[in-house]
Amino acid sequence: MDRSIRRLGAFIIVIFCALFAQLNYIQVFRAGSLNTKPDNDRPITQAFSRPRGTMATADGVLLAQSVPSNDRYELQRVYPEGELYAAVTGYLNRVRGATGLERAYNDELSGKTARQQVKSLGDLFVASARTGNLTLAMRSDVQETARSALGDQQGTVVALNPQTGGILALWSNPSFDPNGMASHDFEASEATYALLEAADGNPLLPKAYQEIYPPGSTFKVVTGATGVQTGQVTPTEPVYPTIRALDLPQTTRDLPNFGGSLCGGTLYEILAKSCNTSFAQMGIDLGPDAMISGSEAFGFNQQPPLDLPSATSRFPTDFEDNIPKLAQASIGQNDVAATPLQMALVAAGIANNGVILEPHVVDTVRDEDGDLVETLEPTVWKEAVSPQTADIMRQAMREVVATGSATRLQIDGVDVGAKTGTAQFGPSEPLQSHAWIIAWAGPPGQVPTVAVAVLVEGQPGASEQTGGRVAAPIAKQVIEQALLPMPAPPPAGGETDPTTPDVGN
Amino acid sequence: MNALAQTRRRAELGLLILAIAVTGGAYTLASLGQNASVPANIGPFFAVITALFFGAHLAIRRLAPNADGMLFPLVALLNGIGYVFIARVDPALADNQATWTFVGIAAFVGTLLVVKRARDLERYRYTFLVIGLVLLVLPLIPGIGVSIRGARIWVALGPISFQPGEFAKIAFALFFASYLVEKRELLSMATWPKFRPMLPDLKHLGPVLLAWGMAILVMTAQKDLGSSLLLFFLFMAMLWVATGKAAYPLGGAALFGVAAYGAWTQFAHVQNRVSQWLNPWADDKGQLVQTWYALAWGGVAGTGIGLGTSDEAVPVVESDFIFAAIGEELGLLGGTAILMAYLLIVGAGLRVAIQSDHAFDKLLAAGLTALVGMQAFVILAGVIRLLPLTGVVLPFVSYGGSALVANYVLLALVLRVSNDNSRPKAPARREMAVA
Repeated sequence: MDRSIRRLGAFIIVIFCALFAQLNYIQVFRAGSLNTKPDNDRPITQAFSRPRGTMATADGVLLAQSVPSNDRYELQRVYPEGELYAAVTGYLNRVRGATGLERAYNDELSGKTARQQVKSLGDLFVASARTGNLTLAMRSDVQETARSALGDQQGTVVALNPQTGGILALWSNPSFDPNGMASHDFEASEATYALLEAADGNPLLPKAYQEIYPPGSTFKVVTGATGVQTGQVTPTEPVYPTIRALDLPQTTRDLPNFGGSLCGGTLYEILAKSCNTSFAQMGIDLGPDAMISGSEAFGFNQQPPLDLPSATSRFPTDFEDNIPKLAQASIGQNDVAATPLQMALVAAGIANNGVILEPHVVDTVRDEDGDLVETLEPTVWKEAVSPQTADIMRQAMREVVATGSATRLQIDGVDVGAKTGTAQFGPSEPLQSHAWIIAWAGPPGQVPTVAVAVLVEGQPGASEQTGGRVAAPIAKQVIEQALLPMPAPPPAGGETDPTTPDVGN
Repeated sequence: MNALAQTRRRAELGLLILAIAVTGGAYTLASLGQNASVPANIGPFFAVITALFFGAHLAIRRLAPNADGMLFPLVALLNGIGYVFIARVDPALADNQATWTFVGIAAFVGTLLVVKRARDLERYRYTFLVIGLVLLVLPLIPGIGVSIRGARIWVALGPISFQPGEFAKIAFALFFASYLVEKRELLSMATWPKFRPMLPDLKHLGPVLLAWGMAILVMTAQKDLGSSLLLFFLFMAMLWVATGKAAYPLGGAALFGVAAYGAWTQFAHVQNRVSQWLNPWADDKGQLVQTWYALAWGGVAGTGIGLGTSDEAVPVVESDFIFAAIGEELGLLGGTAILMAYLLIVGAGLRVAIQSDHAFDKLLAAGLTALVGMQAFVILAGVIRLLPLTGVVLPFVSYGGSALVANYVLLALVLRVSNDNSRPKAPARREMAVA
């Protein structure tokens, strides 16, 4: 019998080894993929009820914080500035997860980055978990100006610092109040979500960096820069013929200037007047390969390295021998589509001697002791064009403001360059367009300190003046505000007092 | 007490102190994890478990001083950890489990008192058979039988409800041990059919098969397929140990395969269990998926006691799925420790069996040990999806009074056998082995 008993024992050991192997499989090998399965809500549940850091603008305005709440989650996330920063902060919702910075910086906010955890090894019986606080590059005064300047119009404003890549303002109308989505009453937040999803103008989508639009004439900056960079275009040649419409091969439809007007000349002239025919010709002369690589040098067809998930702007790559398509693409129509962020980066690149830096919303992350966890240093993203080319393009853009379609952007004592745009979209009847302007500005004789892109959607008609008339005044207000010194932080009590948040505006 | 007894009891005491310390520590950690404060009743808690387990230890010193010293501390540890986790996932049940632990220890001591020598039970062969069958049939009697969650295995007598099936398993083990001791020679011989002898004489095998068949039938009627699997395995294991003939477990496995297939075609809830086992992902709030999520979330080191979310995420986490909470909060390391505890119990129990001289003792110890080991295996395999889920609970750990008390009686019997075979014999046969 003893032998049988021993064998029984061996059998039991073997089957327990199978248990051990299965446990290893679940808890080690497949742990990673199981933890990230979409219907596994453990990561979100944990994030939801753990202490979480704050978000604040560069000038100290509080955008997001966790306050004690009486329910089982113990902490409620509030967004004191409400809809003004919704596109940036995002929200934290138990069912829908996290969006915006709440998602992108989830590890830093909840203190889970390696650096923060190493530091927390020191406190064994810690009363509160470590968190990280975000300080944004954004300025509340510029953001507020962006909102008031845009007013009721549906559109977007992006402002950034070309010298650092820091985003100063990011606003699109309509927006939404993230406090509704952060509510612990999940039925209510789901109802809110349904309403927002169905609402006009898509308030849940951060259009500034996640929606693409035809850039229209603003794209001529890219075309012009490409032309200058390849050496085929200089400030004095070629001289484009002054015509009303460009006769395109392969089609009976020709490409007209706005309103059928006469237009032509050298680089500065055609940019100031925004000649479709001249830039179309320039694009045809450059050829598809040069246009593609020129656009991609500015960041088209790649995802901008913004610290929020952003959409990729598009320049078509399937021209083959399609001349009309190339002509239209060279003036920012056809399949060309860009986010307002991308167009702002174009302006920033021209402003910053041809170098586009990585855009970032967050500036630094600090823990509750004030120690630095992370800082986003200015990093080169694209060397779009040479400094000489950028110099020439800057001068061209100055002409647009001085004598061209953006005269409304003239500001005393400030070096400003811009390009307006009117991008047709939708059916040809009734004619509709988006009004664009991209610009950079700064003290005279220095590298500009602000670059903006403004988009106002759904304008009737499609006249070249639309961009200058509608978008330029908004850009002017934003630029003027951005050039002012940053305001002082609000008094300490208002920012760090966790018990009386100023919910809503 | 002789030298062996002293050594073993001292070792037992030391291990018991360790088990109490671990339990107390776990209890404190659970409270820290959930409420960030040391539990208010930590003093009384320590006092009670110390009193209970020391009381049992003293009883062992008195009643079974030569018994193996590892078994009781292991059980105490499992019981303690189980209690901590039950208190953590559902504090309302903690009091009940505490009461049942008290009853269990009392039954443990009572069994040691009543059964002076394991061998004495050999005489009551058919008594135990009858007791076992009666206990099995009890829940089917209308009036006192109660159906809970589709299974008719409970009996309600006034305010108390219990599962007689848990005790029936022990009765059957006693019956099988006694019967097989006598008949094992005969069962090892193949006598028929005459042209090609393969099977032992029916008149020997018959009664056992009949008894076993009836038990299986009753369990199937009660929809308690997990227990019928265990009883089947008990039978096979004891036959194997008694006769050493591989044909029995192999033939039995074949028979079981047929029965399982039959059950699968006949019973909807068996089909459910199997299809859930093969593809649980359809129901992402279901027990199996949530257990995997819980275990993966715990990873190697676990989330820490009190810091997991299995108490809400996993259904029935207090009994069948207690291991989901343990695996999440103690991680792979803690889960493996639980596995090791059961393996050590099985190892110690089987060693008791080997060290016995008397066939009945051997069979009894082996059978009871196999019961505990297999029960742990079956539920763990079901919970982590190695096998389809069945309705058994984790011995000593899960919430459940009847199982706890029955398992303590089982432990007492094994310790009694251990004491019997370690009693010092004539001086010529010095016992060399130590705990």
